[in-house]
Formats: sequence, structure tokens, C-alpha cells
Amino acid sequence: MAMGEGALAGDAGVSEQVVLLGPRKAMVGVLAQPAGGGAAAGLPIVVLLNAGVIHRVGPNRMHVALARTLAREGYSVLRFDLSGLGDSPPREDALSPFESALADVREVLDSLEAARGPVQAVLVGLCSGADQAVFYSGQDPRVVGAVLIDPSVPRTRRFYLNHYGRRVLRARSWANVLSGRHAMFRRRGALAPQNDFAAQQDAASAAQIDTPETRALLEKAYQAAVDQGVRLLAVCTADRETRLNYREQLLEALPNVRFGDSLRLEWFGEADHTFTMEAERVALLRLIVQWVRDGWGAGVQAAA
Amino acid sequence: MTPLFFGTRRRRLFGVYTPGRAGGRTRAAVICPPFGQEYLRSHRALRQLGALLAAAGYHVLRFDYHGTGDSGGDLPEASLAGWREDIATAIDELRDTSGATRVTLVGLRLGAALAAETAARRRREVDGLVLWDPVLHGTEYVEALLDDTVPRLDQHERPVPRAAGGHEVVGFALTEPMAAEMRAIDLAPLRAALPARTLAVASEPALFARLQAWAAPADGESPQLAHVPNEPEWRVDVDMPGVLPVRVMQHIVEWAA
Repeated sequence: MAMGEGALAGDAGVSEQVVLLGPRKAMVGVLAQPAGGGAAAGLPIVVLLNAGVIHRVGPNRMHVALARTLAREGYSVLRFDLSGLGDSPPREDALSPFESALADVREVLDSLEAARGPVQAVLVGLCSGADQAVFYSGQDPRVVGAVLIDPSVPRTRRFYLNHYGRRVLRARSWANVLSGRHAMFRRRGALAPQNDFAAQQDAASAAQIDTPETRALLEKAYQAAVDQGVRLLAVCTADRETRLNYREQLLEALPNVRFGDSLRLEWFGEADHTFTMEAERVALLRLIVQWVRDGWGAGVQAAA
Repeated sequence: MTPLFFGTRRRRLFGVYTPGRAGGRTRAAVICPPFGQEYLRSHRALRQLGALLAAAGYHVLRFDYHGTGDSGGDLPEASLAGWREDIATAIDELRDTSGATRVTLVGLRLGAALAAETAARRRREVDGLVLWDPVLHGTEYVEALLDDTVPRLDQHERPVPRAAGGHEVVGFALTEPMAAEMRAIDLAPLRAALPARTLAVASEPALFARLQAWAAPADGESPQLAHVPNEPEWRVDVDMPGVLPVRVMQHIVEWAA
């Protein structure tokens, strides 16, 4: 890990430095730590993964706010760009995007370990980052926790009951049925209005994760993480109504996973996928900070 | 490419410095990003533009204003006056790092307006200016930010009042003082004070027509104008994920070369 120029940036109580990660020192990150000495020994480092294609600052700069808030609480927090995103160049091998992301995370933890000694990590991911976090967690014993914000969740029988139940209450939906424009006349998975590009993409993507093969892969990944003792915080929003529409969908979609008491499940019914509204974003950050403190001690006190 | 923090201890700025390809005279460019969602959505394009300018021989510094991106501070405390000073700081940093005596400012949207204002005030250091889809009049820009009738926006993307004052504009705070500073932007009076080497690029025909009116006779040389049709991917009401405005970037680089 190479340290960039400058030591301090940001608000009082936080020290930030540029880090270059991986064997090529090509992945760009910013490490936030408590000012005046860094995090106390024994606390895990929190690693924030890219949300989709948004660079390391996160949607609405949420990752910066989360990193600084946790750093003020006594934790080290890394936000970085996976290869091919933000300021990090693509990898030179021929891995698929998902494999590439998992390889990047391993290399980042290797870099941190080389620079800081033995590392424990809590991964935080939204959307694609959530999927990467849960798949990686069960593959590396250095991961002790994962925050999964809007991970991929297959649709369940109850999802469809909710979905169509809500639709029949809408007058416009009935008008569509009568006119032949209703989604039930289109192929399965195309639940969104035809003229809504994003919703169509969302529905198509959702259809892909409904396959038995994908469901089995997800169950295997979650079970591996749980068996390894990884604490999980899953946060779901109601924004993507073509994918997920109730709090317990994750549990019911993956019935073979024995979560035990490792999973905390939270539902943000008023938030959109990227937590655009400030109040929802603040509530999410508070939840994550509290969950981290509950799991690995009150950072500030631990550091003192 | 070297990511780094620069500036003062109280006002740390994040930037990415890319040295120009060796050979030729020493030239340098500071890239000034736009505001809010446009900043997030244009990051990839501006990164690529920086790489293209570096390949053309420019030493390039792309950076985040205070309270934005990876730089220090929080957005509600930011001001346009401070961001203009940040551009000046970036100019000094780039001149110091690269050895260039003068720089070209390249700004997108609000960044173009800030670049133009800075160029007019620092004529000794700034000898080139690129205004990419510039904000010409701040009142219209703020009206657009606060327009809650844009068809594509869903309920979470519409501007709403903030408890602490001002508005939330698609995930970013727009305070009343910041909005007042934005409304005061008017590039018309600056037209004659801009560098002789000024390029203004419009992605859409309506803006190009307005640029033509803006560039009409004034003292000094006229800016070069270009209409390079392009769907601006950084606009929140345009759903074109992952599409880079290649033709616009090529035009800018060819002009700068």
C-alpha cells in the first residue's frame, strides 16, 4: 500500500490519506481514520465498495459521510474504486466483472494487511456492492461483518401477491387490464411500464436472479458467510418494486439458509435505492454506525 | 496518474494529477467539475478527458471543490466564492507541480461558469479556457435545479425544502446562500475579459444558439464556438448510463492540441 501526499482532509477529528492498493498499486482509495493516532488495535477496518458505477464517494456522497462519521467514532474506513471504476484502471487479466471485483477486494485486504498487520474487515456495499460483499464474505476469514444495502433478492410467492394485490387497488391498473396494456399480458419479468427504461432493466435483471441456479448460489454464499461467523446487516428499500416489496423477502427467498442470530434485517419503506433524501440517508448512517458499535465496541472509547 | 490532497490544512482539496506525455512545450490544464448529480454523473467523462489531454501533452489536474467529492468539508458550508478560490489554488498547485507558467481551465456546466469567472480575474495565469455546456445565467440554472416538474424525475428526485434551510436537489444540499451566489452568475459581462484562446462547446442546439448570441461582437477576440450533438449523460433527466461523450471530448482535445 502506498500512501499519497498529504495527511489531513475533511472535518475535525478525521484524518484522511490517499492510498494506492493492490499488487500494481493501481486501485485508488481514501483511508479515513480518527485524527491523532488512528483506530485502536483490534477494531475491524470498514471497507466501502462501489455502488454500481458510482465512484468511491458513493451515491449523493454517502460514502464520504459514512467514512468520516465512523472515523470520528474511532474506526478506520477505506473507500476505494474497484478496477475499471472511478479512478482505478481496469485489471490486466480477463476476469469477469464480478470475479474481478472479488479479486480486487482480496487484493485490497492483502494490501491493508501488508501495511498494518493482521486485518479484520467489515464490508459495506449497496446494490452490486452488496452482492460482492456477501459472496466475498464467505471466502475470506478476514471478513467479520458485512452491510448489504439493497442486495439481490429473488422474488417470492408473497412478493407477487403483494405486487398484484397493490396493483388491483389502482384504478389505472384496471384500465390497463381492460385495454390489454397490463403487465400480465407481457412476458414474465416485464412488470414495469414499457416506456420506463430503468424499470424495464430492473425487471429484466430481477428475472435473472429468480432462476433456481441463482437462488442456490445466493443461498450458498449467505450460508458460507454465516458459517464463518460473519455478522450481517441487510437493509432493503421499497424503491425497486419490481424486485422487492416486503421486509422479510430475503429470508423467504432463501429458505435453506440457517441465519441464526447473525442477520439483522432492516426495511426502509420510504427510501429510494440510493437514499437520495437526506433524512433517509442520515437514518441509514446512524443505523450502520450503531450496528458497527454493537458488534465491535464503541470505537471512541476503545481508542481512548 | 497521482491522486493527492493539496491546499491548506483547513481547506484540503482532493485532486488527480496526470503528467503530460513527454515532449513539446510545457502546457497545463485544470479541470473544473460541475455541481451535485452532474458531478457524480460526469466523473468518468472528466477522468477520460483528463487522460486525453495528458496524451496530447498537457499536465492535468482534476480536482474536487471543498465540500464535494473526496475533498474536505461538507456541502452545506460551501460557497461559490470558496470554489473560485479552490480553482485558484488548483492553478497554483498545477503550476508548481508541472513547471508550467500558464494554464488552461476546462469547465463543465457550473464548473465552466466558475472557470470563466476565475479566468477573467487571473488573466496572467490563465491563457486558455474551455466552456463545456456552460451555465451562462445563474437564475435559469437555479430555476432548473429547483424545477419539480421534470417528467422523468421520481418523487425522491424532486427538490424538497431542507430542515436546515434551502433545498435538497436530487441528493445534494442547495443552501439559500449558495443559491443566491448561483443566481448572480452572468457570463455576459465577462465575455470581453476571457482569454483569447476560449472554446465554448454546446451539446444541444438551444444552448449553441445562446452561445452564438453571447459571443456576438465584443471587445477582443471572439471565442470559438462549437455545436457537438450529444446526449448529456450527466443530466439527471437523461437515462444514458455508461455512454461517454466521445465526440465532445475529441473536439476539445483537438482544439487544445
